[in-house]
Amino acid sequence: MSLKFYRRVAFGLSPNDKPDKDPLNWALNQLNTIPNLLWPGIIPTEKELRKKYGEWVYGDREVLRKKFKNDKHAYRKAKDELRIKTGERYFELNEHAIRHYQTKYSKQPVFERFWLFWGNHFAISEKDFLAEFSTGPYQREIIRPTMVKTFEEMVQSVTTSWCMIHHLDNSESFGPNSKKGMEWRETINENHARELLELHTVSPNAGYTQDDVIQLAYIMTGWAHKWDRKNLETGDIWFDQEMHQKGDKIVLGVKYKNDAKRELAKVIHDLATHPICIKFVSTKLCRHFITDEPTEDMINPVIEAWNKSNGSLIEIHKAVITQAYKHNENTHKFHPPEIWLMQLSRMFDLNIPLSSEKMNYSFSSKPNRRQRQLSWILREIGHSPYRAKQPNGWSDFEADWVSPELLLRRFWFSSVELPIHVKSGNRSHDFILACLKNNFEDHENMASLIENFRFGTLDYDLGQKYGVICNLPGVLKA
Amino acid sequence: MNCTRRNFLIGGSTTLFLSGYFPKISFASMQKKNLIIISLRGGMDGLTAVPVIGDKRLKKLRRKLILEDVLNLNSDFGLHPKLEIFHKLWQTNQAAFVHATNIPYTGRSHFDGQNLMETGAHIPYKEKTGWLGRGLLASNIIGKGLAISLPMPLLLRGVPQNNNFFPSPDFVETNLIDQIYNEFKGEHNELIKSTLDTIRQRPLSMQIATDSDDRRKLALEAAKQLKDQSGPRVAVFDLDGFDTHAAQGGVDGAHADELEEVNKIVTILHENLGQAFDNTLILTLTEFGRTIKQNGGYGTEHGYGSAILMAGGLLKKSQVYTDWPGLKKKELFEGRDLNSTIDSRAVYNSAMSVCFNQDPEFLRKEVFWGDELPDLSQELFKI
Repeated sequence: MSLKFYRRVAFGLSPNDKPDKDPLNWALNQLNTIPNLLWPGIIPTEKELRKKYGEWVYGDREVLRKKFKNDKHAYRKAKDELRIKTGERYFELNEHAIRHYQTKYSKQPVFERFWLFWGNHFAISEKDFLAEFSTGPYQREIIRPTMVKTFEEMVQSVTTSWCMIHHLDNSESFGPNSKKGMEWRETINENHARELLELHTVSPNAGYTQDDVIQLAYIMTGWAHKWDRKNLETGDIWFDQEMHQKGDKIVLGVKYKNDAKRELAKVIHDLATHPICIKFVSTKLCRHFITDEPTEDMINPVIEAWNKSNGSLIEIHKAVITQAYKHNENTHKFHPPEIWLMQLSRMFDLNIPLSSEKMNYSFSSKPNRRQRQLSWILREIGHSPYRAKQPNGWSDFEADWVSPELLLRRFWFSSVELPIHVKSGNRSHDFILACLKNNFEDHENMASLIENFRFGTLDYDLGQKYGVICNLPGVLKA
Repeated sequence: MNCTRRNFLIGGSTTLFLSGYFPKISFASMQKKNLIIISLRGGMDGLTAVPVIGDKRLKKLRRKLILEDVLNLNSDFGLHPKLEIFHKLWQTNQAAFVHATNIPYTGRSHFDGQNLMETGAHIPYKEKTGWLGRGLLASNIIGKGLAISLPMPLLLRGVPQNNNFFPSPDFVETNLIDQIYNEFKGEHNELIKSTLDTIRQRPLSMQIATDSDDRRKLALEAAKQLKDQSGPRVAVFDLDGFDTHAAQGGVDGAHADELEEVNKIVTILHENLGQAFDNTLILTLTEFGRTIKQNGGYGTEHGYGSAILMAGGLLKKSQVYTDWPGLKKKELFEGRDLNSTIDSRAVYNSAMSVCFNQDPEFLRKEVFWGDELPDLSQELFKI
């Protein structure tokens, strides 16, 4: 079994990790439990951060805009102060640190890879202030705890989360025959219903119609944030009967009797256990972990495990890893920039992310340059995790990640930026050679490519070495 | 005036169809012609960009989204006030619009829709190449595509050696590539290898670090490249944010902000292409229009028919080219969306035929699998 399996399903081996005698079992054993978050710094709750979100939008929209409506400059200044006070500029940076600390040090790196996968499957794309305050805690508190439950439970939890409901506008969706719908002459917003079908569960392969989307949107009406004057749109999610469309609904040929808030759980059950959903999500998992174009013989065992375990994510994950193991030698998987960065940090023990002490924030001035660094790197290499442009998240296809500029960004990072993050004790040539040996069968060939810079110790020399190593085909792919 | 279904089409394309295609060989056709596509992701609302004037039904259904002062185009259509450059160019026959048009896709999903607007196909995710890439390949124009975005848009895929411009924050030493180039062996490394080839052939001006957040600088560099006789012939810009389910607004608001971005890019291109603007076509592309009716959040839902905004010296004249379907309930698509009466792929096919000096019939077969797409070159463009 080649060493690339450790990068295929995890983040490679750190200088402290040693290859296991039984790599498949090493990987499978990581999937039964949820590892604790290791970040020693602050890990605020979703609710705390939502409160901050509320303070920020209320302060800006309801207070500052009115107070400074005739003075643009004073408004801008006051707004910047509010950003600092509410952490609007800070929390996303902290979330990136929590995430990258986890992938760097977790004893269950394979579990962490699945965490990244599900966060992207149920993506929150760039909208309002979600990336600043909500997407990180959503991935920690909504996605992560359900990863040892069933897929259906995960969908339930995601669909009624504040983050997803805000992201896909379900609070603005009114049943036209509901009390509020009639009073305010409001109607549905289809966005969430459509994505629940298309992206989260059955996919367009199920052949649903516009009518199915409307009917599902009817079922979902009422699931909204509880609005009040102070919290605005950041109130808790509840079921508002007065927004809910009355009457029976039919989705994909199944009738759902008028049953208020219980309708949603029923339809999610049917969608999350639909054979087309199972195939769609299994294919996506194989694409993420094995190859861009997974074959039936990779996908079918995952579907089987799914059916046999009634959608247990632990069993589904194990089936995917088993297939990844089986096809490790004859497939090549290109890694998107963030995973590449996580792997480099783990394999070469880089100073990424910044230590938790240095991430401490006073809420009295703008976050400093070093605190912003990781988030800035992620943006520059083209993969800022909470800022996907569309609700379908980041692509798993190589072709979407290979362009002259995207490759140049990787050369830039590895040769210009990376040397700044090499720990002072790790600047020797021998350290690099040891890391290569730990992670790559053809480490001797790799070493020969940087032999010319063997005796150089300047940042420039390190940049040349890492610039070569990090962009080799065997590092870009696993 | 209340617009009902009327025919705005002047002349037809039948004559050209029957007479065959004889490209004029003149000095003008020897000049490099540029085709610039601006992708408007999220579903651009054609009725906000190019509103129909005086339609009572539209006013009624969009109480909160109506534009108070539109720029005047003709007796039937106005222009969103943020699209100033198009209004200016309209006066000199260098701006035009195709209205009530869309790709033949009615599914209302962004992802399927955007996939199809780029592939030009009928089944989402089936094709792995874009219509523009295939058009370039069929016309044997290789290595002349330029994308102004970090990833390579699907639209341009299908022809090798495309370039993109979205520079990194620091100068990158491309000699690193020489040191590892030979390590890329085997079929599965082909894509990366050919991309490295493209990087090695880039002009110096594209190796300079700049600020990619600054759309102005990006558009400026694109103009500079396109102006060069040996430079790219095709450029693709990517804008998103047109999916305004909430707070869409009228003169100001979310949709207006996005239109302003389009306006900015076209303004820079116009100012900096100089004479090359005469040999340029700029066309927008979107996945669908939006519902006529506003929704609960003063936004609009995913719809069907939209509009194409066009600028450049290769336009025949200023016009709103449309076969207007009307906005009465029965005239709407599924009772809710502006209908599409023109397959927008016909416009793009015709534009490619003009810019690539190709027979539209040939391109239709090579690029769009022989789908029924009338040649609109004579109506829309200078040939």
